[in-house]
Amino acid sequence: MGVRLLRFEATKLILRHAGNSPIVGNLGPTSDELRHAGHRDRNFYTYGSMGLCSSIALGMALSTTERIISLDGDGSLLMNLGGIATIGREAPKNLVVVVWDNEQWGQTGHQASHTAQGTDLAQVAQSCGIRRTAMVDNLEELESIFRTALDEDGPWLIVAKIQEAEYMPVAPIEPELTLYRMRNSFTG
Amino acid sequence: MNWAETIVKALKDWNTSMIVYVPDISIHQVTSLIEADPFFHLVSATREEEAIGIAAGAYAVGRNSAVFMQSSGFGNCVNALASLCIPCRTPIPLFINLRGGVGEFNIAQVAMGRTTRPILDLLGLVHFTLEDEHKMDLLMDGALKLCHAGRQPVAICMTQLLHGGKIA
Repeated sequence: MGVRLLRFEATKLILRHAGNSPIVGNLGPTSDELRHAGHRDRNFYTYGSMGLCSSIALGMALSTTERIISLDGDGSLLMNLGGIATIGREAPKNLVVVVWDNEQWGQTGHQASHTAQGTDLAQVAQSCGIRRTAMVDNLEELESIFRTALDEDGPWLIVAKIQEAEYMPVAPIEPELTLYRMRNSFTG
Repeated sequence: MNWAETIVKALKDWNTSMIVYVPDISIHQVTSLIEADPFFHLVSATREEEAIGIAAGAYAVGRNSAVFMQSSGFGNCVNALASLCIPCRTPIPLFINLRGGVGEFNIAQVAMGRTTRPILDLLGLVHFTLEDEHKMDLLMDGALKLCHAGRQPVAICMTQLLHGGKIA
């Protein structure tokens, strides 16, 4: 299978369709590429807090009626599988989790992750009560399912198999600004 | 008001409606009141660092939040505090049932119970310890005020002397 989905291209696609919906980015390249693809007040970049990207998004989804998008990673989600169970239990209709699944811990030396050995995160989500799941490996499929996820009730968990590419420059590290840009866009 | 009702009142006074917790028998006296009150949304997390993430997400979109846990679980969320709440400056009150002190029956609870407050000190986070209900309303209001003024988590550590301890 020739996986050909590149995370940066996929991130630009997400941004094109997301409107003003908050997007939470997993730490590292996912947040860097989100910033390079299109900086906005409603991008919540993370800089640490390993494994908590989709938990942060869950807290948002339970606190606003707006669509919330999480751009998570396979390695990070594996660190907090219980977080999928909590999403299933709370079942927020407005949460869309997209997992960039490169089947490796890319930043730490490209060690194979559990998804390379058969762990199926979409099935994990299903067994936690998340009924709207999908697995895609190209831009066309991603666009189609992501547009559906923006229109139809979730929670959603979309696994997008991606091909790792050369990293982009590290984006500015400004956690306090990131949080209060987002918060001020809600509280004025 | 008893200690549990005093905590609920302070959370309401500070418009803190998102409560995330990992169950604990002693703080159940508070979380059961919260669960029964439609003002709150009580979320059960599987692990304490997850609870911190959910609470931070709520705050990021304008909703005040708090986390309840036991001292053993505090050990599970140190990195979430250090790499999310502290650098992002999220004022999330942490209600921690402090095990390992007077009346503790389980040696496995002692080390984490004893090190919870020193770790909070090392993180630079303010903490208060409640051993009785004396002036507790003032302390709770002041702790939450400080939490928001400092835009940092503040920990309220609750001991067996306050809540009667674990029902073994």
